[in-house]
Amino acid sequence: MMNVQRINAIFEKDIKDFMKNMMLLMMPLIPIVLALIYTRISDGESLPIFLIYLVVGVTFSAVTSSSMMTMMAEENEKKTLRGLMLSPASFLDIIIGKSLVTGLITFTALIISLAIMGIDPFLNIKAIIALILLFLFFLFLGIGIGLFSKSIAATSAYLMPVMFLFGFTPMVDSFGLAEDGIAMAVFETFPIMQAIELHDGNSWLPLGVIFIWVAAAAVFMYSCFKKTRTDD
Amino acid sequence: MENAIEVQGMQKVFGQNTAINHVSFNVKKGEIFGLLGPSGSGKTTTIKILTGELGPTAGKVNVLGYNTNQLKTSAFKSKIGILSDNSSLYERLTVYDNLKLFCKLYGAPLKEIDRILRDVNLENDRKKTVSKLSKGMKQRVLLAKALIHKPDLVFLDEPTSALDPASMAQVHRGLQRLNESGTTIFVTTHDMEEATVLCDRVAFLNYGDIQEADSPAALRYKYSTHAFHVETFAGDRLVIENTPKNGEQLKELIETGQVKMMHTDNPTLGQIFLKVTGKELV
Repeated sequence: MMNVQRINAIFEKDIKDFMKNMMLLMMPLIPIVLALIYTRISDGESLPIFLIYLVVGVTFSAVTSSSMMTMMAEENEKKTLRGLMLSPASFLDIIIGKSLVTGLITFTALIISLAIMGIDPFLNIKAIIALILLFLFFLFLGIGIGLFSKSIAATSAYLMPVMFLFGFTPMVDSFGLAEDGIAMAVFETFPIMQAIELHDGNSWLPLGVIFIWVAAAAVFMYSCFKKTRTDD
Repeated sequence: MENAIEVQGMQKVFGQNTAINHVSFNVKKGEIFGLLGPSGSGKTTTIKILTGELGPTAGKVNVLGYNTNQLKTSAFKSKIGILSDNSSLYERLTVYDNLKLFCKLYGAPLKEIDRILRDVNLENDRKKTVSKLSKGMKQRVLLAKALIHKPDLVFLDEPTSALDPASMAQVHRGLQRLNESGTTIFVTTHDMEEATVLCDRVAFLNYGDIQEADSPAALRYKYSTHAFHVETFAGDRLVIENTPKNGEQLKELIETGQVKMMHTDNPTLGQIFLKVTGKELV
């Protein structure tokens, strides 16, 4: 089912393609620039955790989801995905190859951003697992959307809700929602908010909630895959 | 197994539209088989079914010993090459990088890139970015991509549609060399001249039905009136039926030196297609 040589071939091709794609190359700079701005504004004080997670959310939505959906949509638009699917490479080989590129770019941008803002809050196992689960959640969303997007232009429209709902969730406090309202309660269950909650206590429950989000994103990705494969 | 492709009663229905209507044919190992038909006749759908991209609604398909259910496997895909009108390349990458990707996906040695680039006459363009190539050059890179792993069977959907005559002749020579090395070639085209030059056997596909199938020479003989067309120096154009009683008339014309030009009636594949289907090939 999986073939390391084919995964490596796709990884190598996508890295080269990524480096020549100005639009994708600019994306990892967004969280890094945000991290620099927030650090400057804080004037030497350590940044509040929700602000750090805002940068984390921007990284995963603007780099992970955006890169993945753009790469998939471009393959769809240019009909190169069909060429890959007709080769001995399996769909899993293609997805893993692309995910490795996205992962490399995401974690490079994330580590640089966290190094700028202060990496200490993330030097524990729960925070690291949460970051990995968040990566998978945004990755699966990106793959799913990329599969049904017919063009790169269409991904811009799909990226907005992903960014505002799941990337910028720490900003929800500034929306003026009632503290004990249903909307606020729903937002509190969102993946980034659960990751923030991990830093407020010793419970592992937030990780369980994030895992459920990852599972839901995986189901979404699989249903998008099934939909694109049933063309006859 | 003597046949590379065996198709029995293959049907493909999209909603209310029957694209392929219970078609049966075989392609022998080592032959160049041409599926000819106008746009919308079902040529591309046939290729998509034979390469596992689509499943047939009914009928049996066997390609290189793989049945319908096995056409999506890596083992099958590694034995075939495909060039279709929808094939495309990574525009930001070089010719070499595009071929390197497919070399690795098919597990072929990288030295094959040099061989195939020579075959399609692009050895001096390996470092060029694909976006900077002409349409004809891109078509040759696509052909190289389809052939780089020396497949047992190649599917070519309108392979020379974007090529100038010189490039087309070069591609034909390359395909004939490939065929001489044992590769079976399944080609769809609406270019009758290409089919005549390239194919060992052809089949006419129209409205999802195969209406005639044989070698180009046999079809031309079958649909010939067998008459002699004679043009004399006096400007007369005579059509003399090929019967024993007309032998004396022909002999006399030749002996008296009246014959300026003489040929038998040999319809082209295009004319035969028109006769069989009542349609032009577009």
